[in-house]
Amino acid sequence: MKTAPTLSSAFLEAAAGKLPAPLQALRAQRGKALADMPLPTRKTENWKYSSRYLKLTDELAASLPSGRNSGPGLAVDGYHVVIHNGVLVPEASDFPDVDGIEIRSFVDLDDDTAQHLADRLDNTLDNNAVQMARLNTARFEDGLYIRLRQDAVLDRPLFVIFEADAEAAGSVYPRIYVDAGANSQMTLVEEYISTGDQTALVDAVTEFSLADGANVTNVRLSLEGENIHHIGATGARLLGHARLDSHCVGFGGPLRRHDLQVRLEAPGANCRLNGVAVTQDKQHFDNHTTIEHVAPHCDSEETYRNIAADESHAIFNGRIHIHKDAQKSNANMSNKNLLLSTGAEIDTKPELEIYADDVKCAHGATVGQLDETALFYLVSRGIDRREANTLLSMAFINELIEQIPVEAVRETVQARLNRFIEQAFEGA
Amino acid sequence: MLSIRNLHAAVDGKEILKGIDLEIKPGEVHAIMGPNGSGKSTLSAVLAGNEAYEVTEGDILLDGENLLEKETEERARDGIFLAFQYPVEIPGVSNLQFLRTAVNAMRVHRGLDELSAVDFMKLAKETTKQVDLDPAFLKRGVNEGFSGGEKKRNEILQALLLEPRLAILDETDSGLDIDALKVVADGVNALRSPERAILMVTHYQRLLNHIVPDFVHVLAGGRIVKSGGRELALELEERGYGWLGIKDSDEVEAG
Ligand SMILES: Nc1ncnc2c1ncn2[C@@H]1O[C@H](COP(=O)(O)OP(=O)(O)OP(=O)(O)O)[C@@H](O)[C@H]1O
Ligand SMILES: [Mg+2]
Repeated sequence: MKTAPTLSSAFLEAAAGKLPAPLQALRAQRGKALADMPLPTRKTENWKYSSRYLKLTDELAASLPSGRNSGPGLAVDGYHVVIHNGVLVPEASDFPDVDGIEIRSFVDLDDDTAQHLADRLDNTLDNNAVQMARLNTARFEDGLYIRLRQDAVLDRPLFVIFEADAEAAGSVYPRIYVDAGANSQMTLVEEYISTGDQTALVDAVTEFSLADGANVTNVRLSLEGENIHHIGATGARLLGHARLDSHCVGFGGPLRRHDLQVRLEAPGANCRLNGVAVTQDKQHFDNHTTIEHVAPHCDSEETYRNIAADESHAIFNGRIHIHKDAQKSNANMSNKNLLLSTGAEIDTKPELEIYADDVKCAHGATVGQLDETALFYLVSRGIDRREANTLLSMAFINELIEQIPVEAVRETVQARLNRFIEQAFEGA
Repeated sequence: MLSIRNLHAAVDGKEILKGIDLEIKPGEVHAIMGPNGSGKSTLSAVLAGNEAYEVTEGDILLDGENLLEKETEERARDGIFLAFQYPVEIPGVSNLQFLRTAVNAMRVHRGLDELSAVDFMKLAKETTKQVDLDPAFLKRGVNEGFSGGEKKRNEILQALLLEPRLAILDETDSGLDIDALKVVADGVNALRSPERAILMVTHYQRLLNHIVPDFVHVLAGGRIVKSGGRELALELEERGYGWLGIKDSDEVEAG
């Protein structure tokens, strides 16, 4: 019998850098546990459709050199933090100065706070399902620790710009931990961008811990170039009446994987998860989401849409797990897909596990093509066919984009999606 | 302007138009009447270039050029406009964006500058008033949730904005209340000009009281079985289709 491939030891030889001792210890511990981690294969259920895109060659093992002073890169409208190859660049950042809100670089934490954090990192994620997040914990060299005290309100969105600068081949491990106190509020916009043209791996993890009544909006934009392999995980735990409003927008690449795991742990916790992914050429995008209804009286609302053109491949896997005690759960999940070419592939799979009897749970998944009648209507008004196709494709996802509550992001994303889709129809 | 010669068209292999001949000159208004299922919408769709319908024989010439060789969007830019019997709802595309894209496509084709968002908004607002639609309809998705009458007025709005040479109105009068009928008729009359022709499909004489046609044709079983002046419409109203040797419900025979 052939033994399953394991993570190359080259990935586990990186130095811990300037991290405080408790985080160094956590890293080392994770590194050890990973030493013989089997890599996902076609037989690994949650990597079934994507393992063929996962190429962890040894040249990706080295950390990308960090610390260049780059600007925010994208238009931002709010506070911003620039993280260059995993390391915070204070000169390029604009931190909020708001009562009750601390935003600190991992390397700047005192030992007590670092210990507090080390005790919590990875707690929001089901590590068996998110193998690659463990690699992040074994490898991060810095990170962003965001702490909102009770009732603290961040008045403007915080943009965190993760720039992967791939001048050479290598990998980078962005990390954020948000500890949102009772009734606190913030909007966090994560933007993953890249420069340089060498092959690189971005393995990013963001975690949210929301205390009672906390209200967090998270926008996650995956905008990296064709040379970047991106594996991301977002985990969130919500206590009573806390709310997570998540908007993930992603453009395809050689490997794009995002796991989103939300645990509703006390009554009244609720989340809205919106996602849009677009792929063309031979690109890939794989969204795996899990919503754990642990406590009764929680609501979840999930809407994901994919558009796949050319010979690209989009995947959506949505798991809803309603625990035995989670009576009066209300869960809605919808995944709609638009195929722009017969060569494209879309795999969509809802997974419902319901152990409580008094719940409302609805789900639907469709794969379709552009509506010929609508297309005829548009071109019969003299509108160019390519433009009409673009209008209709944008219409398919616009409803979700319009729900992004940050105008600057909405506009940037709309313009980029429009360009992307226009391209997809070029020569078609 | 438009010559239709011995036009045959089929859908899913079933022949629906069985030899239509029609000449339309600039400035003329033609009305087409006829029983349900006789092929009126099919003729309209074929003129607009709907690919669901296959032309199996015959020609259509617009100003001497072969229309059948042109794509739908080229026909539109050459001045063919079809007001749909059932306008299509397109959620997610705002009416305003749709109208502006269409108007600018037309303007570019005519060698004019595109209208800025502000200028277009002004024009669009004025024109919505002309068809008695609230400008709020500009913000909604194309025809999304519009009532039947609102959809028809939105079609006339488009005709007014796009300034076609040949406007084909497929039952733009059906489903309208008395006031809306007047609004639509006024809109159509505003379109009338010596350079522009109108082809109206209708079941009712009442529209023809407002928009007086130069010619009335009866389409039955995929053919024009009778043509005349406006008095033909009155006669049909009075006598039905029976006296022409067709039943009120005469449909193209099932294939
Ligand atoms: N896409 C199609 N597939 C199958 N049959 C069709 C299709 N389109 C039209 N037909 C058939 O062709 C015939 C003519 O239809 P058409 O819509 O042109 O009639 P019409 O004269 O406009 O009728 P009405 O007065 O009811 O609007 C009908 O029998 C109709 O069922
Ligand atoms: Mg009809």
